[in-house]
Amino acid sequence: MNKTKDLFMAGLWEDNPVFRQMLGLCITLAITNKVANGVTMGVAVFFVLTASSFVVSLIGDTVPRRVRIPVFMLVIATFVTLVYIFLQAFFMPLSQALGAYVGLIITNCIILGRLESFSSENSPWDSLVDAAGVATGFAFALIAMSVVRELLGFGTLFGIQVMGPSWTPWVSMILAPGGFLVLGLLIWVQRAISPVEEE
Amino acid sequence: MNKLDELMSDVADYTKGHPYLQHITEVVETVRAIVFHHGEAASESPFLRDYIEIKRYMFAVVLAVLPATFAAIYFYGWRALAMIAISYVAGGIAEVTFTLVRKEEITEGFLVTGILFPLILPPSTPYWMVAVGIIVGVILGKEVFGGTGYNIFNPALVGRVFLTISFPVAMSSRWVPPLTGGWAGFTQYSVDTITTATPLGVFANSGTLAPLRELFLGTIPGCLGESSALLVIAGGIFLMLAKIVDWRIPVAYLGSVFLFSTLGMFLWPNQVAPPLFQLLAGGLLFGAMFMATDPVSSPTTKEGRWVYGVFLGVMTVSIRAFSGYPEGVQFSILLMNMFAPLMDEMVMTFRYGPVQKPYK
Repeated sequence: MNKTKDLFMAGLWEDNPVFRQMLGLCITLAITNKVANGVTMGVAVFFVLTASSFVVSLIGDTVPRRVRIPVFMLVIATFVTLVYIFLQAFFMPLSQALGAYVGLIITNCIILGRLESFSSENSPWDSLVDAAGVATGFAFALIAMSVVRELLGFGTLFGIQVMGPSWTPWVSMILAPGGFLVLGLLIWVQRAISPVEEE
Repeated sequence: MNKLDELMSDVADYTKGHPYLQHITEVVETVRAIVFHHGEAASESPFLRDYIEIKRYMFAVVLAVLPATFAAIYFYGWRALAMIAISYVAGGIAEVTFTLVRKEEITEGFLVTGILFPLILPPSTPYWMVAVGIIVGVILGKEVFGGTGYNIFNPALVGRVFLTISFPVAMSSRWVPPLTGGWAGFTQYSVDTITTATPLGVFANSGTLAPLRELFLGTIPGCLGESSALLVIAGGIFLMLAKIVDWRIPVAYLGSVFLFSTLGMFLWPNQVAPPLFQLLAGGLLFGAMFMATDPVSSPTTKEGRWVYGVFLGVMTVSIRAFSGYPEGVQFSILLMNMFAPLMDEMVMTFRYGPVQKPYK
């Protein structure tokens, strides 16, 4: 049980994909200007990552090493397509807000990285826990960033006014510079809480 | 020794041994050192003929912007002074917090940033924006790089640009006309807000040029400290004569603006304003005298400084003429700050051969 917890917590905090591994930054910077977008992307990646991790851990031994990347991509693409169609069917406005970035989950290096380095060599249960940890860590990073950016940039959370009507929006927070600034500051906070051991 | 000096020295000695108060020892000693500048005397050669260090340096700059500060109060009322006070308090808290956490000495670098920052803001900037800007400037412009002396960018300009992109309405379209005649701003707290445009903004929109005499004296809307060209030039000349700043940077910067706007005026007469107007309008003089010459973020070699100044001029004229912003001084200086180390390295390579890398 302890091992399960450690695996999960590593993905969530110590090896957080965004704050520690610096992966998936393109999506992180692009869609975190609203909390709703961050939550949607977090859930979508959670589903894709856990599902494809599970599948890859089952077939990992039988896939020849030479063709493993195309096979992994096919598995990921299948689940991403499911998410994409699901969003279009039931959450059209969110799907439009995220635009191409849902489709681009296929190329997200967090997912391919977990499949390549963990799922293909570990048991289905461990892969599932690892994927859940990393995906939760990613969602955590997205939500943390989008809360700061939406709060300062629009004065709202989930579109609901929270900062009062006289709030002056910080336009830079909605734009790219705000994304970089908030990302840098949050990485700083995360590293201040648990410092990196320099090699 | 002065009585007050003795008292402060006693306070510092007392707090040093105290379990809780020892953290403020640094603060007391800094204030004491600022007020009663204790030059250190060497007992062996080499003997310095002139003892110049960061404290004296920073004080000279503060002294040099005082005329422009008085002009700011004269034109825009005592609110200008309130903005400076807020900048000092908010930025000072950020600065002291960092030095205490890092257990470093408090340096005087902030004294300059704290006064330059409000002087490059529009007179009607809300107080909380001043505080946000200076805190962002101190933390993101200086402390994240390691504190005074390690910053790549000019901290005051980092704060200014952050405000420019965050609050475009407050920072670029709410200009107020200056007060003139008699005691003007010395008898008022603030200017009743009447939105106007800066001379550069007017030129960008309609091509009308403000009279040079008004630009020179400062009776035109603009940022707090930049309006009066006369007093800014006076401060700049003082700094150059005192050898606090190198004359090469302002001369190269202003010269290249003159040259390239003369050139541009013939090539694109509708977009490039005439050279004298370019020199006197907006924040160019203030930037050239006080911001581009910042010893930390500008090149240290003579040749590097010439090149730096020339590129600054090209960029300022280009941004003014061809971009969406009527003023380009802040962006030019920040962009060129980034290239200052590269220019120094190129000069050194040219002079002494390839620079030895400390890393593999």
